Amino acid sequence: MTAAIKVTGLNKNFGRKKVLQSLHFTVPPDTIAGFLGPNGAGKTTTLRILLGLIPSYQGNLEMLGCNIPAQRVSALEQIGAVVENPTFIETMSAYENLYWFGSLYKTLLPARINEVIEMVGLKDATNQRFGTFSTGMKQRLGVAFGILHKPRLLILDEPTSGMDPAGRVHMREILRRIHDEEKTSIFLSSHLLDEVQRLCNYVVIIDKGVTVSEGFVADLLASTLEKWELRLVDEEIDRARGLISRLEKNISVSNLPRGLLLAMPAGLSAQVNSELVRAGIKVNALIPHEASLEETFIKLTSDSGDKGGSA
Amino acid sequence: MKRMLFLILFELKKILNRKKALLFLLALNVVPLVASLALLIAFVKFRGFGFGQIQFSVLYEIVQGLFTGHVKLFAFIAPFFLALVVGDSFSTEFSRGYMKMLLLTPINRWQVITAKTVAIMIFLLLAVAIGGMFLQADLLIARTLTQNSGDISETLLQSMPESVRNSLPSDAKPLYLVSTTSALQLLAMTFFGNLMLIGFFIVFSLFFESAILMSFTSLSVLMAVHTFYLIATGLLSKIDPVYNQLAQWCFTRHLDDLFAIKSIQNILEGKAGLLSEGIFSSLLAISFWTAAFYLLATLIFSRRQILH
Repeated sequence: MTAAIKVTGLNKNFGRKKVLQSLHFTVPPDTIAGFLGPNGAGKTTTLRILLGLIPSYQGNLEMLGCNIPAQRVSALEQIGAVVENPTFIETMSAYENLYWFGSLYKTLLPARINEVIEMVGLKDATNQRFGTFSTGMKQRLGVAFGILHKPRLLILDEPTSGMDPAGRVHMREILRRIHDEEKTSIFLSSHLLDEVQRLCNYVVIIDKGVTVSEGFVADLLASTLEKWELRLVDEEIDRARGLISRLEKNISVSNLPRGLLLAMPAGLSAQVNSELVRAGIKVNALIPHEASLEETFIKLTSDSGDKGGSA
Repeated sequence: MKRMLFLILFELKKILNRKKALLFLLALNVVPLVASLALLIAFVKFRGFGFGQIQFSVLYEIVQGLFTGHVKLFAFIAPFFLALVVGDSFSTEFSRGYMKMLLLTPINRWQVITAKTVAIMIFLLLAVAIGGMFLQADLLIARTLTQNSGDISETLLQSMPESVRNSLPSDAKPLYLVSTTSALQLLAMTFFGNLMLIGFFIVFSLFFESAILMSFTSLSVLMAVHTFYLIATGLLSKIDPVYNQLAQWCFTRHLDDLFAIKSIQNILEGKAGLLSEGIFSSLLAISFWTAAFYLLATLIFSRRQILH
């Protein structure tokens, strides 16, 4: 199947500053993909280039099989997008804004406007002026605008920025529903790693304009070290530490208030446990720490920073 | 095509939705509006209280002055308002993010600039049409006021061009002194003259994100160009004739030619029309400049980065 997004050798300079350097990534179809990177990594610039808001750059871009910029218009016919904060006409109501912006697509039925307004939970604000909307409502109307024409791909830039925790949960539910019910692939940039981990099954990580990593979230997490909390009697902590460091070189050990934190390759926990018991050390508990995207992200971006620094 | 139509309507709705749009329409037509009021008062005073009748010769001058004044004032103040309208349609939309939202929809950039230009043109046409409507109303009141006065002086009749004199009905009414064709030609001239300025302002608006700043800068440049034209054709040409050649490139000179009081009066008196030599060449030059500004704006806009 055609990739949702394919970026090859993307370079972009703002004056002398190199913002993107041979950026490349491929977002598979039917995924909810996260686009991660620290501040200034070049995420918004990449999205703006993809959507034609920045016309000058070097590189090859494809979205849903359409070459950008040659087939930009036909690509946008199948793509919904909101970059940064959505800004609609303040003096017009939610319905009016969707009607006028929606009329610029090939097909638009009034029933669809009501359907998307209801889908994003703005039914009560249908006739309310956009100028009176809260940040969360504005973001939700942005998503409504993005899915108005039933796109195959929805591109969102920081869709939950400025929203409270309840609003974020709601937005996550909306996006999951869009993906499941309307079969829309989603590509969203976000700073909130926890949110991306909960919502996305694919992730692209960039830093300083360079692709650091990309892949399915499950694969990415599996490649990182497992973390285990080892609870021990206080007197035996030092002995256990010595034993573990002799046992395996790949295990990193750090102190915790009532034991040790072990970071080790997958599958070693049972062996560690049995060695400790054999040495007569009482293991009160061996608790797995769920791997988080945050750790992977920090590790990957700091690695790329080190490389960048030494280069 | 349908999409383009929607885009133009959307842009027009945005322009007319602004409260200042109404203010602009009224300010641009201040002459015919005030004249309507004055004539209405005169109507009540003279007809209602039987103070006699206004002489035709007096009214002839009033009507002539009204048309000339309106066209002249419109030509003078329209650039100020048009700069702000263009600034709102482009510069303000860049800063507010409306332009970004528009460009996320499947439309080409040239379509955006065309739709916005057409919408501003319609706004201008509306302003011109409102002025025309009020002038027409003024003439109707004037006609009622002088009905049966029979006061067309011999001198005045002699000063009229023969075509106008022959077109007068036997019970000559002053209304016919400004024929519908003349009035329409004047309004069309006002429209086309300002069209060039719209193109000029659009080019500027692509570099600014504040409508006020853009208006201030573009109007300053406009005045600078015209001042150069005046100096170059006057003083400087005496020093070196090359200044005269340079001045020919000052596009504002065509507006000066077009809206010269002499041209306006010639049209009013039926002595000249849009196809008359001097006026037609000005209109042709204005069309050339309008097309050049529009093409330049499209080129700049196609390269512009939308970063807000």
